[in-house]
Amino acid sequence: MSRLSAAALLAVPAIGIGGLMAYVRSPYVTGQQRPVEQPIEFDHRHHAGDEQIDCRYCHWSVEEAPSAGIPSTTVCMSCHAQVWNKSPYLTEVRKAFFSDMPIPWIRVHNLPDFVYFNHSIHVAKGVGCATCHGRVDQMAAVEQVAPLTMAWCLDCHRNPEPHLRPTEFITSMTWTPPEDKAKAAELGRQLAEAYDVHSRESCSTCHR
Amino acid sequence: MPPMNTKRDGAPSQDTPSSFALPVVTDRPAAKSDVVGEALEHAAAQASSSEPGYGQTYWRSLEEKLGAPEYLEQTRPEFPVGADLAPTGFARREFMQLLGASMALAGATACSTRPVDERILPYTKTPPELVPGNPLHYASGMTLAGHTSGLLITAREGRPVKIEGNPDHPVNQGAAGVWEQAFLLSLYDPSRARVLRQGKSPRALRALREELGSRANKASAADGGSRVRFLSEPGNSPFTGDLRNRILKKLPNARFHSYTAQTHDSQAEASRALFGGQAVSAVYDFSQADIVLSLDADFLESRPENLGYARQFANRRDPNSGPLNRLYVAEARFSITGGMADHRLRVKSQDVLAVAAAVAQAVGGPAASLAGAAANKASLKSDHGAWIQAVVADLRAARPGRTLVVAGERQPAAVHALAHAINAALGNTGTTVKYVQASIPEQDGLSQVRALVEDITAGRVDTLVITSWNPVFSVPADTGLKELLDPATNPNRGNLTVLYTGLFEDETSQYADWFVPAAHPLETWSDGRSFDGTVAIAQPLIQPLYNGVPESELLAMFLDEPYRPAYQMLRDYWQGQAEGQGDFEARWESWVSDGAIPGTQAPAAQGSPDFGAAASLVTGFTPPASGELEVNFVYDYKVFDGRFGNNSWLQELPDPITKMTWDNAALLSPETAKRLGLEPGDLAELNYGGRKLTVPVWITPGHADDTVTMSLGYGRDGLHEQVAKAVGFNANAVRTLKAPWFDGGATLTKVRGSYKFSLTQTHWRMENRPLALDMPLSELKNPSPATEHTLHRVKGELKFGIQDNLPAFDYSKGPSNPQGYKWGMAIDLSRCTGCSACVVACQAENNIPVVGKQQVSVSREMNWLRIDRYFEGSESDPRMVMQPVMCVHCEKAPCEYVCPVNATVHSDEGLNDMVYNRCVGTRYCSNNCPYKVRRFNYLHYTADKTATEKMLMNPDVTVRNRGVMEKCTYCVQRIERVRIDARVEKRVINEKELKTACQQTCPTQAITFGSLNDPQQRVTQLHEDERAYKLLHELGTRPRTAHLIRVRNPNPALEPAAPAAANQGSH
Repeated sequence: MSRLSAAALLAVPAIGIGGLMAYVRSPYVTGQQRPVEQPIEFDHRHHAGDEQIDCRYCHWSVEEAPSAGIPSTTVCMSCHAQVWNKSPYLTEVRKAFFSDMPIPWIRVHNLPDFVYFNHSIHVAKGVGCATCHGRVDQMAAVEQVAPLTMAWCLDCHRNPEPHLRPTEFITSMTWTPPEDKAKAAELGRQLAEAYDVHSRESCSTCHR
Repeated sequence: MPPMNTKRDGAPSQDTPSSFALPVVTDRPAAKSDVVGEALEHAAAQASSSEPGYGQTYWRSLEEKLGAPEYLEQTRPEFPVGADLAPTGFARREFMQLLGASMALAGATACSTRPVDERILPYTKTPPELVPGNPLHYASGMTLAGHTSGLLITAREGRPVKIEGNPDHPVNQGAAGVWEQAFLLSLYDPSRARVLRQGKSPRALRALREELGSRANKASAADGGSRVRFLSEPGNSPFTGDLRNRILKKLPNARFHSYTAQTHDSQAEASRALFGGQAVSAVYDFSQADIVLSLDADFLESRPENLGYARQFANRRDPNSGPLNRLYVAEARFSITGGMADHRLRVKSQDVLAVAAAVAQAVGGPAASLAGAAANKASLKSDHGAWIQAVVADLRAARPGRTLVVAGERQPAAVHALAHAINAALGNTGTTVKYVQASIPEQDGLSQVRALVEDITAGRVDTLVITSWNPVFSVPADTGLKELLDPATNPNRGNLTVLYTGLFEDETSQYADWFVPAAHPLETWSDGRSFDGTVAIAQPLIQPLYNGVPESELLAMFLDEPYRPAYQMLRDYWQGQAEGQGDFEARWESWVSDGAIPGTQAPAAQGSPDFGAAASLVTGFTPPASGELEVNFVYDYKVFDGRFGNNSWLQELPDPITKMTWDNAALLSPETAKRLGLEPGDLAELNYGGRKLTVPVWITPGHADDTVTMSLGYGRDGLHEQVAKAVGFNANAVRTLKAPWFDGGATLTKVRGSYKFSLTQTHWRMENRPLALDMPLSELKNPSPATEHTLHRVKGELKFGIQDNLPAFDYSKGPSNPQGYKWGMAIDLSRCTGCSACVVACQAENNIPVVGKQQVSVSREMNWLRIDRYFEGSESDPRMVMQPVMCVHCEKAPCEYVCPVNATVHSDEGLNDMVYNRCVGTRYCSNNCPYKVRRFNYLHYTADKTATEKMLMNPDVTVRNRGVMEKCTYCVQRIERVRIDARVEKRVINEKELKTACQQTCPTQAITFGSLNDPQQRVTQLHEDERAYKLLHELGTRPRTAHLIRVRNPNPALEPAAPAAANQGSH
């Protein structure tokens, strides 16, 4: 009896704390697996999937700036002035374009304000779009795939090789490392050397 | 030195009951094997206040020097009294409000842990030059008191966030002073005026245009505009000058008066006399001057036009770049330039003429005849003779043309004439002094206001357009302008229509019939000449935030021209200027993008100075009254003439000399204060010329005796300038037109009451440690035993087990640091003037909040970078050393070992990182920091920012919250940005592309930053310099910042016997 209650006494706080720790890492808190409804029904399945438009066509600043950027309305209109230019789906886009008012997109990947993430360096060192953002070409509404927790960042920063890919496939949604584990490891090692990958773990790398 | 209290801090006094007594560290016998205890012992012994010191005594305040018991009491505890008090007053209320708000929010979001959705608003059409997330830099300019400096402004997605000097501008050369940088804050100031009004009714811009157009037409038809007057800032802008000329074509009898509070009247008067009426200005070359004599000239402070001079001067203070120059300064108050002097003579301002005359007499030539004329105007004090003799001997011994005499703008034209004559006699004309055509052709200054006042009094004016900054406040009390503009005191006020344009509703705007909110200079196009003639095109960075009207568009309303925006008018003007010189478009593009128009330097003046003609200046000079106190007015190092009064960065910036924030005071020398029975903080009544002013008193060592100095620009009571309101007192209230800068005959009597100042320099205690070091160059080469002892202490070997107890870290190349960066900094005290430009740069770059006077008084100032000002020598006539101190990024950082949550840790490149999101606010790190460079957010200082103010924030730096520690990061955001660029391009960081904010702006290049692993970098060379030492080296913290000992170049003839100098005050 007393053994049982002692075990319970130990187990309750342990389970409680453990539960809390599991909870803050759960998708419920990190915001994963929650497709975000946008003011305009933009479908990545169609643009990135069917039409095979390169990610960088719209998110063009990804190679030179910290942020990959949300395309300006002009980018939408560069195609949709020609195709689907009467579609009722695109009324809001045309309205925004002609009234010069921004479309209020909702942020899907939102890091805390004290974290400074830079896209350009990751893309230059062979971290593909899909590595963090998942199969966007299969998402009707984009959702956050990775937990975006610091532990998740550090997992890669401590051992980047398995997450690298040749930069010519950087925006590919379908590229996968070789099946063979040894070959995959070898490729990772080669890429890390070729791209001069030295991921940093000092606090000020991301926190300033 | 009076006997110091030798009792150890924290030791219980004898009468404390033993049960309450704390263990006494020093009384406990240390165990033999206890290395830490031994180290503590050692450190304690080193720090003991009864220690004989190290050759020279440095001190920061009089109380410290004299060992005043109140001071010792106040600084004894580790934290100043009140530092950990709960927030009170407004702050507490604010805290409760915040608490309420956060509770409400918590209620609203209780059902979901996900924060409210954040929106991303893309451009409709991204500007082609812009990459969202990357900064853009635009060349622009800022005009201050008749000088336009070249700036390079950083913009983030269309909002300017940082002002730096334009590296391509010949005067700025990349540097920017405090005013240019803080100028940015005024752009976003929420108290800026936004309503165009006539009387109290808002009006449309169209109504104003119609009103001015019809007024101009009527005036033009009636009498050629003879009843129209303009009062504007000095006309150094070619474009505005052209507008003026066009207005004068339409209204030939109208008059333009130029006025700004800080003027070059007497300089201009002297050069006009010398050059037969030509407007000429003298351009100096300090790089060639071996001996410099300053006659009350403060040519090193960070005023825009001085930046080039400061650079040249500092290059001559570096023993590695050739022989040192020698600077003599004769002045009344301790100025920034005085602090850099090798020999400083404390004189009353009115005695400067006698000094100049005595030097002129001795050098002979044309100077001697002028000096003869000055002989009966001023007599030299007998105790100044030796000093002048030495100066003259030095000037004459130097090679001809390698000396320079500079007169200050507060001195009368007679002194300027004498300075020019001395320069001519020493062969400096053409070498260190060049005469060029002045960038301001017309006369400006108080004489112009006087003429205007006469005209208004005589009823000759019916339209007055004021574009000059706040003349009602900035003119002396007896000018009478305010009385004329005030309907209550001027019965004929109804006949006069006053139009005023300004950034704020201020003292002048309350008397204006029409008030036009001005466009901030960063919101409109303009141009302007620097003092050497170079034209900078100032382009806007942002659309007007508060409906401001550009001055040029306002003036154009007087013309019969269809509306053209400022840009069009400016471009058309320059197109006209460049007529027939090829493709204008390309040239215009390059002018705007470079910021300066090449080939616009002022041409040399015609003829040579005629000193005979200048004799009348000297003979016609009426010496000011002597006797009693001499009252001095200076414009302020922080708020200038008051136009930066609403700028909280500048209000909180410690004055470079007094280290006073949010105040001005009547400054006195220690002797004079003693004679008058005044203590710092006493209230006194200043009686001068029949006017009275109650002022708080502050005592400044090194101030001339029987002189009181007050800075202008405080005591503002503008309608809507909330920051400036009721800060300090208004010295203009006792200033007169007759003697706007200094005059004798003032009295100061103590009255009841006292005043509390907030000074930063007396925070913390230096315990006699060698912190800021300076010595003659000869002493450095052949150190005396005392100096050797000091050098040993700051540079000596660290003994293992005594100072060197912590494990070392290898910062050479490693797996995560393949490039082997080892960040470090060097600060050259020989170059540092203390101008504080770096402090403002740091504030702007790192989103540092302003905390207010009350918070500063409890040591809660937030500036990461402070400049410690040390005095050395006697309290009446000390020397000064400036020492910038920010986090020194110790390799063995004491702060890191005590943080319970690992919020401050080391990076592999040697940065002492501060992780805000980990910090829980224990403040242990600050407690353990020997440099006292950590700053704690006691309150949520950024909580009440308006949306416009938030636009100012640097998006690369976290805006810190309440309860978080912060400190200098070596501008890690700049390192990371440059690193990423370099890594993407697969190369190493170049020394030139990475500059910290303080380094970038430093006018004298006193701060150097780079990687210590690269022997080619300047910072590495400076670290290896023989002058380099580490602050508190004996603690074994191994700072990454090295300070370089300031070297002096004293004249042996003026030094007391050599060994005595090295040992003075050692016991």
